[in-house]
Amino acid sequence: MIEQEGAISPKNTLFVLLSFEGPDVYSTAGGLSTRVSELSEALAMQGYTTHLIFVGDPSKPSIESRIDGHLILERWSQWVSKYYLNGVYDGEEQKLYDYNESVPYHIYNEIVRPALAEGKTVVIMGEDWHTAEAMIRTSDLLHWFSVRRKVLMLWNLNSLMSLHRINWGRLNFVTTICTVSKYMKHRMWSYGVNPLVIPNGIPKRHLTPVDANAVTRLREIARQGDSRRLFYFKIGRFDPDKRWMMAIEAIARLKYSGYPVTLFVRGGIEPHGTDVLSHAFNLGLKIQDVVAQRPNLEQSLDAMAHVASPDIDIYNLRFFLPEEFVRTTYNAADATLANSGHEPFGLVALEVMAAEGIAVTGSTGEDYAIALENAIVTETDDPDEIVGYLLYLRRHPEEQERIRCAGRRTAEEFLWDQVIENLVSKLEFLARKQSIQLP
Amino acid sequence: MVSDLAIYTVVHQPRRLKLPAQPIPRGASLADMYHCIFDERMNERYFRKVAQYSYYPAARMFLDLVRQGMRLSIGFSLSFLRQAESWDPALLDLFRELVAEENVELIGVEPYHTFLFLLDLPTFIMRMRWMVDELEKIFGKRPTVTDTTEMCMSATLYDALDTAGFSGAVMDGREWVMQWRERTHLYTYSDERPFPVNITAPRSISGTRRSQQRLVSDSVRENGPFLLTRHFELSDDVGYRFSNRDWSSYPLYADTYADWIANTWGDFVFLAWDFETFGEHHRVDSGIFEFMRALPAELTKRGVTFQTPSALIERYSKTSCVYHLPLPIFPTTWAGSGGMEFFLGNSAQQTILQLMGYVYGLARLTENPDLLDLAIWLAQSDNLHLIQWFGRSGSEAEVSSYFTPDEWWSLGPNGIIYEQQRVYINTLHAMEPYLPTRLIRQARRKSTNRASRRKNAPDDPEAEYLTRREWQ
Repeated sequence: MIEQEGAISPKNTLFVLLSFEGPDVYSTAGGLSTRVSELSEALAMQGYTTHLIFVGDPSKPSIESRIDGHLILERWSQWVSKYYLNGVYDGEEQKLYDYNESVPYHIYNEIVRPALAEGKTVVIMGEDWHTAEAMIRTSDLLHWFSVRRKVLMLWNLNSLMSLHRINWGRLNFVTTICTVSKYMKHRMWSYGVNPLVIPNGIPKRHLTPVDANAVTRLREIARQGDSRRLFYFKIGRFDPDKRWMMAIEAIARLKYSGYPVTLFVRGGIEPHGTDVLSHAFNLGLKIQDVVAQRPNLEQSLDAMAHVASPDIDIYNLRFFLPEEFVRTTYNAADATLANSGHEPFGLVALEVMAAEGIAVTGSTGEDYAIALENAIVTETDDPDEIVGYLLYLRRHPEEQERIRCAGRRTAEEFLWDQVIENLVSKLEFLARKQSIQLP
Repeated sequence: MVSDLAIYTVVHQPRRLKLPAQPIPRGASLADMYHCIFDERMNERYFRKVAQYSYYPAARMFLDLVRQGMRLSIGFSLSFLRQAESWDPALLDLFRELVAEENVELIGVEPYHTFLFLLDLPTFIMRMRWMVDELEKIFGKRPTVTDTTEMCMSATLYDALDTAGFSGAVMDGREWVMQWRERTHLYTYSDERPFPVNITAPRSISGTRRSQQRLVSDSVRENGPFLLTRHFELSDDVGYRFSNRDWSSYPLYADTYADWIANTWGDFVFLAWDFETFGEHHRVDSGIFEFMRALPAELTKRGVTFQTPSALIERYSKTSCVYHLPLPIFPTTWAGSGGMEFFLGNSAQQTILQLMGYVYGLARLTENPDLLDLAIWLAQSDNLHLIQWFGRSGSEAEVSSYFTPDEWWSLGPNGIIYEQQRVYINTLHAMEPYLPTRLIRQARRKSTNRASRRKNAPDDPEAEYLTRREWQ
């Protein structure tokens, strides 16, 4: 080990984030886009020059500066994307080849060389399997030009997709592998790697108090004049991992146990959605579709009020939900059912906590969730487990308040600023591991 | 003993494919197809390397020598010339300076170094004519003697070159073709003796009615092309064996070599080498440049005179020293053991040739000249040369693997073969949208959709993307 001096700061360090997803609507497909958009913004807000290289909208500028020039968005593979207009993963193989082929040279020529000339250290972070090969090639290229020891390289895993396509031996040799939860860490042991855990974060704006009037109005809409009526919310892709069926079963059991229920659902375009809604229908639940044209919070509430009826059990929200409406719903609902069976981190539950809502989580990647302290944590796929916990909360309103407050405190600990502090402290350790001479 | 010597050297760089194969976006433009198919970054790297070690020093050497009286013939593939135009115009200027010398004859080489003649002989003829025009534009000289890809020659190739209007052609003097004949005489394959029963020419040829794309040139020559047969043993002494320390004649000095040439039976010796022999195949420290600089004086001492191929044709055709050479149906080549098995001898090569044919055939169907041009690039012989080693061993396989880009070997032998085939398959699929039938249907659908869209505006075009958002 060599002796290291100095500390990482915006003056001496520059970040490069590699990801397929990014902040453009075109580049938004999963939680990864939220993570990289918010992480890059948070780094830039702290003063770090941050390049985010992602598969961007082909109709937007290839390079865009934000946050006083600290955040540089580099929309990659636009020449491929122009042939594939259905989002970031349309033409995935074509984009992947181009990304692997061209990003490493770009990083070396356009980012690392100038940064090193200014005496800065470069931190390169790759996200998910799509960037694994680009990270390997970048490391090889930097090594070839004898600058590898001046660059810190991390690769982070957020999902278990396509892990068979990763050359784990090489990746583990050239980067420090990270992931977002202990659950993911343990899952990755089977690939012969032992990643460091650097959790996800949420931006500060999620802690802004939600509009109390809007919350009141939404509760009134959901309860339809019946104060006994329970109000729940579930949002996410229509993916079996999200345990939609378990949630629907729980709602039906509550209803047939004599507890009137309202459930707001917001899924994706996945085919599993048909199974979920058919199952709800077959269980005798009444479903109402709600549509709107890119509404704001007020218009969303109006849309809900327009269709609301005491006969409806499930409202299927088929419009783009503005963030304010989502946060209002988290807060207004008696609970948000984030009861996934597999969750790398579970950002939704953390966002629910930030909005002072009650999250019903699964028990995989949600390291931050402690049962009946700051959340409801389910440990099986038995719908009765949800029913039991929800009825318990109903009987103990004081517990509801306590959980809401504790959840909020937990969320405060996962702001990106805190996560970046955690990351920076680990970078100094990683610099030692990778024999990087910090400035 | 021979009194004349002609030296021919050919300059060529392949347009290497991008491996592993880059998937081509659906509906890609031609420019994007090229980007996915060819590894121009690698091509530029190899080009610059060879330019540094071979093209510059060797061109300067030959320039000095021809100014001192040596005569040289030189050919360039357009594949090379296009690369030189893009990456090193100064080098192209140096070659222009060399070709402009009176003692230098420009040979017309198959433009893209392809095996197009195996796929479409009439188009091959048109391309050879086009090549002559292109070379004249670049060098200001119009070649009359030609060299096909890898010095291939056969009966049909000869007939094609005759139709294209060349006065001479070069070929390798392999024993299986020459049989008892010496490779030190001027030959022809054209049988001009009268027929016992007259043949009636079709009207389009006899001139009463001219077809729109006539293959035969306007001014048919008195003779079919004269053939210069390369002395492959003397050529290979320099081309292959010069720096081989295990060779019994190593090291070869100019005086010894001049002795061998001067003591050869016949009218003349025709030697031919890759231009890259000087500085690339044999590095500068092998002494190849000193050898070549010393050779003219040694030959002059022994009474051997340098000639250009045209001068040899001029001289020996007039003295009736022209002999008939029966050409084979299956081409001979200067590569390997002299037959097409060097290029088509293993299953991987045969598959690539089939794929070349499929891509070419589809390009013809598109009736798009740019796609046809692309298909012809893909028929480059180098794509078969580079995989000769597949399933083989020995010196020929070593030569083949020497030319295979180092960067490819990380794919492994089977990986190279698989990915090379993928390039052709990807190209074929990328060309399909350009088929006229599909283009017409697309245009129809577009106009129908536009009409219906006016009636039915979408609810929210962004909604499709937004609904994909995953909330973990």
